[in-house]
Amino acid sequence: MSGRRVVITGLGGVSALGIGARQNFEQALQGHSGIGLLELKGERQRPGLPAAQIRAALPDIIRTAEQPLFDRNAIMGMLAAQEALAQSGFAVENEAEAEASGVFWGTGMGGSTTLEAGYVDLFVEGKSRIRPMSVVAGMNNAAASQIALRYQFKGTVNNYSCACVSSAQAIGEAYRHIHHGYADRVLAGGSEALLNYGVVTAWDSMRVLAPADGTHPERSCRPFSADRNGLVLGEAAAAVMLESLDSARARGAVILGELVGYGASNDASHITKPDPLGQARAMQMALRHAGLAPQQVAYINAHGAGTAAGDLAEAVSISQIFGPATQQLLVSSTKSMHGHTLGAAGALEFILTAQTLGTGSVPPTAFLEQADAECQLDLVPLQARHGLQIEAAMSNSFAFGGSNVSLIVRQFHGA
Amino acid sequence: MTTSSLSAVIRLLAKSLDVPADTITGATELEALGADSLTVIELIFDLEEEFNIQIGDERPDLKVVQDIADHIDRYLANRSEAQ
Repeated sequence: MSGRRVVITGLGGVSALGIGARQNFEQALQGHSGIGLLELKGERQRPGLPAAQIRAALPDIIRTAEQPLFDRNAIMGMLAAQEALAQSGFAVENEAEAEASGVFWGTGMGGSTTLEAGYVDLFVEGKSRIRPMSVVAGMNNAAASQIALRYQFKGTVNNYSCACVSSAQAIGEAYRHIHHGYADRVLAGGSEALLNYGVVTAWDSMRVLAPADGTHPERSCRPFSADRNGLVLGEAAAAVMLESLDSARARGAVILGELVGYGASNDASHITKPDPLGQARAMQMALRHAGLAPQQVAYINAHGAGTAAGDLAEAVSISQIFGPATQQLLVSSTKSMHGHTLGAAGALEFILTAQTLGTGSVPPTAFLEQADAECQLDLVPLQARHGLQIEAAMSNSFAFGGSNVSLIVRQFHGA
Repeated sequence: MTTSSLSAVIRLLAKSLDVPADTITGATELEALGADSLTVIELIFDLEEEFNIQIGDERPDLKVVQDIADHIDRYLANRSEAQ
């Protein structure tokens, strides 16, 4: 595809695996799980459910006076964005740079904890009003807007809310935005902080959540396993600094990789049931945009949420698209460790995927002791693989609503 | 006007802005404190809770800390008269 090349110059992430993109990757390589028994704030609990919660206190990055404006979702988003921007070394210095800089963000449920607190005040406490900043803190574009405000990114600021592909779509659309010359750089990513009573109960009611493993809660999410039993909710934020190659070169920035492929499709077949044909269309589109043959992709970070139907559909769609190249392909689901972080999942898994290029290491599918016989893939069970030459890697994200997104990151080659 | 709410205004402002209360007086300008319009809306909400009053929709010109206290005190005075 003709257009400007888009490179990665910064990564940021926070999840149950820790704070920092590198920390998250290293924890994943070691097969460490951030999953444990869910502990909600307040009296109401959902006992027995596992979750990937960030248990450590978040760094204090919001001024006291501004805290009423921030839901946990936006605070986590700011944290990830701050890290990615710091690594990139970029700071807006003039109006032209500000106008050429955008923020593309994704979230599924936005400031749901703020909304829930308001409903508790109204319907449980019997109050007649709620906190005055509930709208500002609860709105879905809060994180995107606060990031733009803090860093003075005055170009396009978009927010994507397409369930579990939200942040993958934000990254993909940011890629197109730069590729087609609408901006020189975009901070892209997503955040999700939905571990509150109402949202967790809603997910539990759908009967898609895994119960806690009886003796080892950290092993509750087992994607592609014969005994997989559903997904485990998690909270996270992740960000990637995307720039035109010209912008990165002009600054002398360190280039971590090149974003070369973005595919997006919709199943248009069922509101929740995954469709291998729709997934395949997204992967095919990403490969076509990237100009890559299947055998040039060494690793896929799978959507792999741990549901019976979803994992099987993805195994089928990958095999369909990669054909004979499937034999050499490594596929893992890091959700086994950081859970399903919904709107943040695409970005979190993308920053893990991007780090495989520079390290030559691929994180495992943790706790995969016996794979589903119908998932005929090298699923990198239990142990990371090291010493690999990874030319390109793909990150898949699929969502309720039928949305599918595939992103491909490639080693940066000059010229 | 004798203010009965000034100390509460100062205490809540100090808390929300994370500054020592003894650096705030009635004459302190809100802008100098870094208290923007959203901070004042939050503050008035907290004062309504503190004094169990409901401020109406009027938009008084609030420049210094004392202006907020005066605004609250008018409601407190009206409530006293009504009782």
